[in-house]
Amino acid sequence: MAMLSGLAPRAKVVSGMLLGAWISLAPRAWAQEVESTRPSAFDLLSRGPELGGTDLPRDLPGRVTVGPAKRVTGWEAGAAAGADVPLSLPVPPPAVPGPSSEPLSPLARREEFRVLPAAVSVVPGLLFHGLAPLVAGDGPTAGRLFAMEGTGLGLIALGGVPIVLTGASRRTIAPLYAVTLAGFSVFGVSALASLYSVVSPTFDPGVPAASLPPLELEMGYQYVSDTSFDYDHFVTLGGRARLDTMTLEATARFAPDEGNTQVRLGGAYRLLGAPARRLGGSDGSSLDAELFGLFHRFPTEGFTVGGGEVGLRGRYAMARVSPALAGSFAEASIGMALQGYSYMGPVDDGNLHEQLLFTFGYGVWLGRGGPLRGEAMLYYDHRKDGFAGGLRTFGGGVVGNFGLRGRVLLDERWGVAAEMQAGGALVGRLSLIYALDGDA
Amino acid sequence: MKRVGLVVGLVAGLMLGACLRPAEERAVRDAKVGLGEGGGLSLVVEGGLASVRGVAPGEVVLWGNAPVFTARATLDADARPDWLVTVRNAMPDAQLVAELEDGGEVLAVEPVAQVVPTVKMWRVALRAGAVARLRVAPPGWDSSAPFRFAALADVQEALPRVGDIYARLTRDDSLRFILFAGDLTENGTREQLMEFQERLEAGSRIPLYATLGNHETFTGDAREYTSLVGRGSQSFVFQGVRFTVVDSSNGTLDPIVEEQLEGWLEASRQGTHVVAMHVPPQDPVGLRGGGFANRGESAALVGKLARAGVDLTLYGHIHSYYSFTNAGIPAFISGGGGAIPETFDGVGRHYLAVDVSADEGLREVSLIRVD
Repeated sequence: MAMLSGLAPRAKVVSGMLLGAWISLAPRAWAQEVESTRPSAFDLLSRGPELGGTDLPRDLPGRVTVGPAKRVTGWEAGAAAGADVPLSLPVPPPAVPGPSSEPLSPLARREEFRVLPAAVSVVPGLLFHGLAPLVAGDGPTAGRLFAMEGTGLGLIALGGVPIVLTGASRRTIAPLYAVTLAGFSVFGVSALASLYSVVSPTFDPGVPAASLPPLELEMGYQYVSDTSFDYDHFVTLGGRARLDTMTLEATARFAPDEGNTQVRLGGAYRLLGAPARRLGGSDGSSLDAELFGLFHRFPTEGFTVGGGEVGLRGRYAMARVSPALAGSFAEASIGMALQGYSYMGPVDDGNLHEQLLFTFGYGVWLGRGGPLRGEAMLYYDHRKDGFAGGLRTFGGGVVGNFGLRGRVLLDERWGVAAEMQAGGALVGRLSLIYALDGDA
Repeated sequence: MKRVGLVVGLVAGLMLGACLRPAEERAVRDAKVGLGEGGGLSLVVEGGLASVRGVAPGEVVLWGNAPVFTARATLDADARPDWLVTVRNAMPDAQLVAELEDGGEVLAVEPVAQVVPTVKMWRVALRAGAVARLRVAPPGWDSSAPFRFAALADVQEALPRVGDIYARLTRDDSLRFILFAGDLTENGTREQLMEFQERLEAGSRIPLYATLGNHETFTGDAREYTSLVGRGSQSFVFQGVRFTVVDSSNGTLDPIVEEQLEGWLEASRQGTHVVAMHVPPQDPVGLRGGGFANRGESAALVGKLARAGVDLTLYGHIHSYYSFTNAGIPAFISGGGGAIPETFDGVGRHYLAVDVSADEGLREVSLIRVD
């Protein structure tokens, strides 16, 4: 029973902290409904050109012109395909009919928050993904989200039913699993897109950073609440170098009191899309090939794991799906890891363990072309070898973990990154970022 | 609105807490297995190795979950001394030895013949106001002679056909008992578990000692399992070989179970030790990932088992047959009880026949096909 009093409170403390944060933040969110009728000083400042905001009402086609110029395509009337033009050039009228006769005032109101579509986007919108935009009068977006949801459910059935019927056969599990997870990702993205589509009219959407620093260094703190491990406090270090189409990354997590150490090194090569340093002119969509190595030492538990992983990571600007989703993106990755375990003491194991890597998420770009640049993303991560592990569920350990992460450069030098994960463990991380040779 | 948010937040917080230790309540509940009172008799089965199915004046019914167990019986001064002790799921040749705790006086025991080979009944003359120790065990239980047992798991929805497996088991006279690694039933309801036990008594000549699987947790977090079968995590010694089963049905071990396991590992560091659980720490097909929720936890567990000299690990959950090693320990997944089978594996319903010895450790593991 000593175990009860020693370990359970630790998890409860973190749950309590999360709960407290949620409760304390929630009223401010509810207050938006009232505040939207009268812009605050912060609203005016954040929407102003000082922070890259626009003086133009968001309902005008020109609202997406802030920031980098965009390479227009053939469908854009009046512009030659492939020509570099600022997005302030004429573009097709928005698919969503909206009031375009608002006065062109810097203090022009955003569209007011509408309770009904927002409520519908949760219940029953999380089941019927196009319903909320439909209620909001955005038929084209509704149609696309219904189509995405149907595709997701179809993929889930296409992969999931054979998994059940074959008893998760070792011969067929890999492709079937990939199809099923792809289905969940499309389904999840359409659900979150539905939520975003009804709240996005109330704020000016962010845009991908026109440029990012060639080198970022970060240092921070990580807390892990896991009843299976003694560690909890970590120092985190990281670095990210952007070299044209290559991005190199290194992260280290170290528990000073317990000794647990994780080091991850690798990089990504951009196969499609603008290089990370020069996103100006692109909508932020990309496809990367990734290669990473992992070393993780568990001194208390007496083993070390090492291995490599390879995968593909894609990001898709959701404005391509619907103008109502401008400022948001969907991201997914798939890959495989091969790992070996080395045990301390007279224990021998020559096994090589493979792992399916899969993530999907829905994110938003932060900043609108000014020095403030970043992104935030809600995601699912299928991997089970991280600090969060997978959810400990009725079905064993099949499901991975969920998380929310954000990374933002506040000016040309400094930024912050934060992440929360919930799986079999709760993980929270906060880092300070220092950018070298930033050229916003 | 704020109140609704608060309630939702509280629920979310509790759910997060529950996700961190989903098996905690079962681990706590385990400690209550083997306790019973009635008719002036207070019964405590050591190690929770049998569940008390009923205590009425003059009558005790137990469901054994180990081939050997001892119960401490305290009789009130004014209680009746003659008691009928029934043990279901007992070794066919089990005997009851009753002696007073103070002085060691052996009490009179009279066997009552039963038709079902795994149901044993005895009349015992307890001493009013005294504490007696009742040991149920077959002859030679404390020898170090080699023996054979069967390993089976994952019957689930194939319960109506489980008699085929018992019929195949009956053809091998050398099998002493079945070690069952979870998922006895589809949903763990009382009716399903009762049916499982009725079919076991009707079809098998040897008892079945089990841990639970994730399917048992589908109904009331396995409360019916605890009540009708026994502990999810326990350890017993038979003919010099220690058997330990732990509740891994959520893809993790609760810290309470982890602490118990460390004690059992320490107690058998020099001897032969077989460890079984439902969800395997490591799925040999890593892309499927049917093992523990955290690969670090699984590596820590198998490393600990290996350093403690565990000789064999047995698992279920995956409905096929796999032979592999984890941290160097021979490991077998044998989920051949009939639940939706893994296709294209060429195995089908099966069980393992395992030969072990206190002196030699693991001697042989054989795959026995049923269909």
